[in-house]
Amino acid sequence: MPDKEQIALMGHLMRRAGFGAPHEELAARAAKGYEATVEELLHPEHQEAVDVELLYRFLPGYEGALGPPLNQAEWVYRMINTQRPLEEKMALFWHQLFATGNSKVDNPPELTQQIAMFREHGLGHFRNLLVELARNPAMIFWLDNNGNHRGAINENWGRELLELFSMGVGNYSEDDIKEASRAFTGWTIGPKIPRNPLGRFYWSFEYRPEDHDDGPKTFLGQTGDFNGEDIIDIVVKQPATARFLARHLYNFFVADEPQVPSWNITPPNDPAAIDALIASYDQSGGDIRAMLRTLFNSDFFKAARYSRVKSPAELVIGTARLVGNYQGPRPGFNALAFECAYQGQELLNPPSVESWHTGAEWIDGGALVRRVNFAAGLLGNTSLPGVQSIIENLQERGPMTPAQLVEACLELSGPVEVSDSTYSELLEQARQGGDVHWDSESNRAESGRRAGLMLALIAASRDFQFA
Amino acid sequence: MLTTVAAGRVFDYSFCLGMYGMSGQGFWTPQDMALGENGIVYVINRGAEELGQRISRVTLDHQFLGQFGAYGRGDGQFIWPRSIALDNGNGGNNGNGIRVFATDDFLNRVSIFDADGAFLSGWGQPGSAAGELNGPAGIAIDHNRAGADGNVVIVDSLNHRIQRFTADGEYLGGFGSHGDADGQFNLPWGLCIGDDGAIYVADWKNRRVQKFDADGNFLQKFEASPSGIGALQGPTGVAVDSEGDVYVADWGSHQVQIYAPDGRFIASLVGDAQQPSPWTQTYIDANPDIIKARRRVDLEPEWRFRRPVAVKVDANDSIYVLEAARHRLQVYDKVKDYEEHPLNL
Repeated sequence: MPDKEQIALMGHLMRRAGFGAPHEELAARAAKGYEATVEELLHPEHQEAVDVELLYRFLPGYEGALGPPLNQAEWVYRMINTQRPLEEKMALFWHQLFATGNSKVDNPPELTQQIAMFREHGLGHFRNLLVELARNPAMIFWLDNNGNHRGAINENWGRELLELFSMGVGNYSEDDIKEASRAFTGWTIGPKIPRNPLGRFYWSFEYRPEDHDDGPKTFLGQTGDFNGEDIIDIVVKQPATARFLARHLYNFFVADEPQVPSWNITPPNDPAAIDALIASYDQSGGDIRAMLRTLFNSDFFKAARYSRVKSPAELVIGTARLVGNYQGPRPGFNALAFECAYQGQELLNPPSVESWHTGAEWIDGGALVRRVNFAAGLLGNTSLPGVQSIIENLQERGPMTPAQLVEACLELSGPVEVSDSTYSELLEQARQGGDVHWDSESNRAESGRRAGLMLALIAASRDFQFA
Repeated sequence: MLTTVAAGRVFDYSFCLGMYGMSGQGFWTPQDMALGENGIVYVINRGAEELGQRISRVTLDHQFLGQFGAYGRGDGQFIWPRSIALDNGNGGNNGNGIRVFATDDFLNRVSIFDADGAFLSGWGQPGSAAGELNGPAGIAIDHNRAGADGNVVIVDSLNHRIQRFTADGEYLGGFGSHGDADGQFNLPWGLCIGDDGAIYVADWKNRRVQKFDADGNFLQKFEASPSGIGALQGPTGVAVDSEGDVYVADWGSHQVQIYAPDGRFIASLVGDAQQPSPWTQTYIDANPDIIKARRRVDLEPEWRFRRPVAVKVDANDSIYVLEAARHRLQVYDKVKDYEEHPLNL
């Protein structure tokens, strides 16, 4: 039987490498072992994929979604129902890093295709992922590479590849951007059958050699007749790239860092952790899976419980998974997608290519109220299967003191680790009802109601806002 | 190809009908259709989330007559509209013509409307006990044959069984259970009733169609031959013509598979809507950029079936294929007097 500390550590891993898990799953995973669970997460191909036939049978509007929020809802469905949590979490990571938005692309299924590409390549080598990204139709349109022609370059993709997607500001020159852009001329999208009135048709990547500038280029000190893949080969060998990626992984999975635009002047909070991730990148030839193995098994990760503000997607998906009423197809996933947006993270439509600012910037007065109301509303709803499961677990523990009620609810809802002041407030509330009993129908009803209230209060706490 | 010749049969593409429309003229993720009198077709639209749920009334000559039903839980409303069937008007509408029966596989109920869409009544209780429903999908009414009783046969999908009711919802019996043996089902979807009262069920996850007699005794199945031809990847709808040929809307493979009465695979239809429907053409004609864009691409993906979900056959053995993802109906004729042209042209 795993002890509380092992379950708490597993809860931490599953919140970060996935979207959290109910207590029973945490206990089962902890019994299997921490490192074994890390390996299982790193190999999602060993788990069943989401049954898309079932999804599209019951929610056919999600297939080739005609418009938002259906494409967002489709992704929310997958994030909640996946048996491959890290695969989906990595898709979210790459979406936040390679931010592409429907506001310009205006082709929701293309964004969905991009996310599918992240699922497929998101745990592989960074080099391959960048090549796929450069070929991704939504990205090509988003950053205007379809307007990047031989003799008339458009620098948008070339610039963001270096600035936002691989190396970061300060590690290349304006000439490098121009030369990279020349190398990506001819990388475009083919015409497609227009949308409507017969549904959506997909773009496809098209390489047009007649539009490619095949002359010599000098990029980051190297000269040759570079094509796009040559540029990426050079980029992924840059120390700046390893460092940039390491900081992003740390910021997303370990602890909030300063906002990305300041990274060229602001050192990381934990330089040794970044160095460890860089070493993993170098040793593995840029293998994302290897970097994550290092990260999840590290002491700096294990010590970083509740040190990141949950993104809206993490809060919404994690809470929905915990309460268990979104298992399988049902109406309402669009409402969860809207909820992410109301809290400040409209999936598949980031505010710009610079993506969302993270950490404390997820929180403002309005967003906090929505976050609290959403989470407390679900966790306090004793009719939901996940909440009922928690109450059944409490009941099996028998009579309990108010302190035991607080501690058990915290344990079963995360485990959530709270500050002394939060704990005091929860205990004060629990004491108002006295000891908890389950020995009669009326006592069970009252104790269940009190448990729901306690869970709602936990969901409303400052501490619950952190992952 | 517009004309498919196989095993002594000829299937000739005729025309298409429909386009996407969130409401009004057009369909949105249509799931099933019913052929009414005087060329009127009823199409039930799934929509998405809280939008687009309705039954459209159109004619085969492309007139949009109206729609009824909407999102909601009230009488005559739908959350997940799924399938539709018509009775012949003799079964209890006081001589006031046909009635429209529609299933909702979220609300677990059947709603009944008159031919113009006025809500008449509804029935259905959620659950797994006899007579209860869990995800009612296909619906057929046994009235098109001698001795038919006008009863309603429903695919009770999430209970993996077939149930029979009177038109008023009184439970009469059922058959089937979860599994992949003969007579068992795995998330069955659509069904039809043949002229002899036989019941054909699209056994979706088992990737086959099963045929039963009117009492629910297993008779035969339609699936891939031992050599693999005629495989089904997710059958959703089934129909039988006057000669006993069986048409299967194979949602999973985007084809209609055709089998002889003995189960032998005959041919596939893949969709041939090279000429847009009048509704679609009007939309295109009104958008110069779309006209330009269409001239630069291979339009074949547009002709082809995308999620064919339901198939019906009329009294003349014309075949109607409804495509959920193209919001369209494609019509083929089974040509009886076809004369082969010289092949050495």
